Amino acid sequence: MTDQLLELLTTYGLPALFGAMILAAAGMPFPSSLTLVAMGSFVAQGEFSFWPVIFAGASGAIVGDQIGYAFGRYGGRPLLSAVTRRIGGADKVQQAEAYSRKWAGWGIFFSRWLIGPLGPWINVTSGLTEYPWVRFIVLDVAGEVLWLLIYVSLGRAFSDQVQTIASLLGNLTWVIVGLLVAGLLGWKLFGRSTEVSDDTA
Amino acid sequence: MIRNRPWRKALIALFVAVLAFTGYHAVRTVSDAIYWNAHRDEPIERWMTIGYVAHSYHVPPHVLHQALNLPLTPDHRPLGRIARDSGRSMTQIEEKLMYAIVHARPPYPPPGPPPRPYMRPASSTASPAK
Repeated sequence: MTDQLLELLTTYGLPALFGAMILAAAGMPFPSSLTLVAMGSFVAQGEFSFWPVIFAGASGAIVGDQIGYAFGRYGGRPLLSAVTRRIGGADKVQQAEAYSRKWAGWGIFFSRWLIGPLGPWINVTSGLTEYPWVRFIVLDVAGEVLWLLIYVSLGRAFSDQVQTIASLLGNLTWVIVGLLVAGLLGWKLFGRSTEVSDDTA
Repeated sequence: MIRNRPWRKALIALFVAVLAFTGYHAVRTVSDAIYWNAHRDEPIERWMTIGYVAHSYHVPPHVLHQALNLPLTPDHRPLGRIARDSGRSMTQIEEKLMYAIVHARPPYPPPGPPPRPYMRPASSTASPAK
């Protein structure tokens, strides 16, 4: 499946890149880092130009992110309030929302390029917690353009070892995500007791 | 700090799992870095173009075109499509390419220049060259 998708990408070029990035940003499992690094290699070989690749890829990703955001905001939020009306827990939800609002900006920016696998989730939670859309899109554009620049430039610089670079970036990303989650869990488990509402895990 | 016992146990289990997961990927990151440093040849995949394989394996592209009996003109199709268009399997394509690559590298003599003007646009690329 992955192979076929990548094959389409080599055949149809930038429009395919745009479409693939929409799907990946909306949460479809897709080897986007391999795609971008491979695109960088094709840039190095003169098959594509650098900026059109950045533009097509980033705009695809940004469109895809809006899908997740809209899903959270117009699909998830009514559902959530229906659930809390039935079974209660609205205060818990509010607590979680306050917490996520505090960190959402960083989350949106870094999940575009440094901790990519969390991106689709953060899109949905941003919509769900009604994070201001204008701020969402500013952070989104900044993060996605940075992501494209880093990955395509790496592919261009090390254009003969696309798969190794992509695999390295993928594993490194998971290490960062893992450390982050382990840090959060460790803090919850072994952190100094503060006795204030710590139960919104 | 979470006091509730069953919750705490579950979280500790999760914490250990996340640590194991992180360790696994850390090891793989290091092995990728070593791989990268040593520049080993990457396996040939169906999304790659002839140009990419030539670039990655550091052999002149015309050697690979000849190996697949393709005209000596730039061909942007991925290998998977070349295989389908020519009714061959990906394994056959890979074998032919690997054979040509091995024979274009030391200890074999370096391949000569392309026999004909290489970069001439052509309309049909699917038919065999000779």
